[in-house]
Amino acid sequence: MTKSNHWQLIPMEQFERPSAPASTVIQQTWSHLRKLLGADSDDDAVPDEQDFPSYSEFALEPAVAAVNAVFNEEDAPSVRFVISPPFSGCGAIMRKWAEQQGYTQLTPPSIEQLEQADTDPWWQQQQCDTWLLDEFSSFWLRTTAHMQFIRALLPRLLRGEIGCGVVVIDSWTYAFLQRAWPLSLPHCYCFAAASPELLRQSGIVASDKRLRKVTARARGNLGVALAHWAVEQNPERSLPRLPGEADDATAFILYSLLLHHGLRGEYLQQVLPMLAPAQLDVQLLRLQQNAVVELDDEKIWRVTVYAYIEVREFLAARGFWLDGF
Amino acid sequence: MDTEKILGLFREITSGVLIEIALVFAVATAIVLASQKVLPWFADHLHGKQRLFALAMIPTIRVIVFIIGFVWIVPLVIEPTMQNMVAILGAAGLAIGFALKDYVSSLIAGIVAVYELPYRPGDWIEVEGTYGEVKHIGMRAVEIVTPDDTVVFIPHLKLWSNLIHNANNGGPSLMCVVDFYLHPEHDAHRVKHLLEDVALTSPYVQLAKPIVVVAKEEPWGTHYRLKAYPIDPRQQFQFMTDLTARGKNCLRQLPVNFAQLSPEHVVQASPY
Repeated sequence: MTKSNHWQLIPMEQFERPSAPASTVIQQTWSHLRKLLGADSDDDAVPDEQDFPSYSEFALEPAVAAVNAVFNEEDAPSVRFVISPPFSGCGAIMRKWAEQQGYTQLTPPSIEQLEQADTDPWWQQQQCDTWLLDEFSSFWLRTTAHMQFIRALLPRLLRGEIGCGVVVIDSWTYAFLQRAWPLSLPHCYCFAAASPELLRQSGIVASDKRLRKVTARARGNLGVALAHWAVEQNPERSLPRLPGEADDATAFILYSLLLHHGLRGEYLQQVLPMLAPAQLDVQLLRLQQNAVVELDDEKIWRVTVYAYIEVREFLAARGFWLDGF
Repeated sequence: MDTEKILGLFREITSGVLIEIALVFAVATAIVLASQKVLPWFADHLHGKQRLFALAMIPTIRVIVFIIGFVWIVPLVIEPTMQNMVAILGAAGLAIGFALKDYVSSLIAGIVAVYELPYRPGDWIEVEGTYGEVKHIGMRAVEIVTPDDTVVFIPHLKLWSNLIHNANNGGPSLMCVVDFYLHPEHDAHRVKHLLEDVALTSPYVQLAKPIVVVAKEEPWGTHYRLKAYPIDPRQQFQFMTDLTARGKNCLRQLPVNFAQLSPEHVVQASPY
């Protein structure tokens, strides 16, 4: 790793969120109060989703170099976990790293294998010694049957029964697993919070103070910071806002989407059976109109990067179990 | 005590004093009414602890305003000497003791309720078999709304002699208990783990709180009680419905048979 590389892979317990300057805290508190009092205009709450600037992709090589600096193959444990906050780009970085290291990308288990809670048939079809499981958050659903598969898989991973590998887990899934499977996962890593230097390395030119504000607002998440920066550059645009009608059902949908790194409509219905299909459709379309969620080419609903911080604050205010980032 | 002595207790009431009393009364009423309108509206935009705190401010503000108003007005009317105060309060006490005992007892209990906090707005309480959410704490009575949307007024007087069951005690945690009645022939540990997962996978569950399953053998089968907390106390009935519906589905798929209660066992066993 060169001196100019500001990417850092660190043990998860060392992660520190960047603190916001006092002016940002006051601004956020004022904005929160205005929202509570309904003083914020609703005119810009329904943006044209197509008009959002695409946030710049960052170069993966320096991040891969940071992974190489930490993942020493000589005394590697059987399994390592990389905790990935949404939009932080960890999945793409680890896929690139795995490709360079010759690690095989595991295919996720089928629905039948998940429901039988039997990990053997799934593992037998993989045929590799070193592997990367980058879809840990998205292959299972929050249902009783799938929970049994996860509980069967995790001990096998930790015992080293299925070779040597790296698991990429979304931070929301990791937080949920801490509750569902109360053994702390060992060898958990994450990328250090984005700093002004890292933003500059990613191509943004601005003063330190301004960059600190951006990283604090994005909670140290590089992808979110780049997206916020892209919106800031366009004075005609503003970040999307949750619709005024957002209620308990909205919160359940957004939480499920974050927990599973996005979901297809039918799977969303499976994890939220108490919502009628019509109600679910209305909620999703309303959120889509407000650019809070988007439907990608694979028909998977996801929270948009621009709305992520707003969604997180919305869930926090309602007392949901949040990720640690 | 002759008329002159009684009149001597009071100050001369001039038009200026009357206007001052009226102003104090009007301002106090305005503050109380405003707090009763604004704080519930504000609380509706909040959740969890913040909502309960905003609601709890309503009776507190009222008591503070009442005390300030009382301390302001009394010296305007009565010459504030010890002798006068004892005489007036003694006479008032006698009248209250005979005529308005229950009413005043409720008023005093209302003040005690603000201090002791047996219930706060937003709490779910049960008094004499009536269960509901505390919507408003008045001077004389507490107003609760039952799950069937019926408003019940309970005099604070009940505070002295009745048991007040408070399900969440000022916090956002309210335990819900869902019952399952199963045929005795089954693997109890498997059912217990399954029911724990039913709660864990409910969108309503508060993951920060524990999930517990308790089993008890009965003459007709096994009685399971699944205990967990919803994210918001207001979701308790949807949460229990979700646990019941998904719990039944999962138990059927296990498969486990449900108990067939004979008529003599239909009456609910005592809680434990």
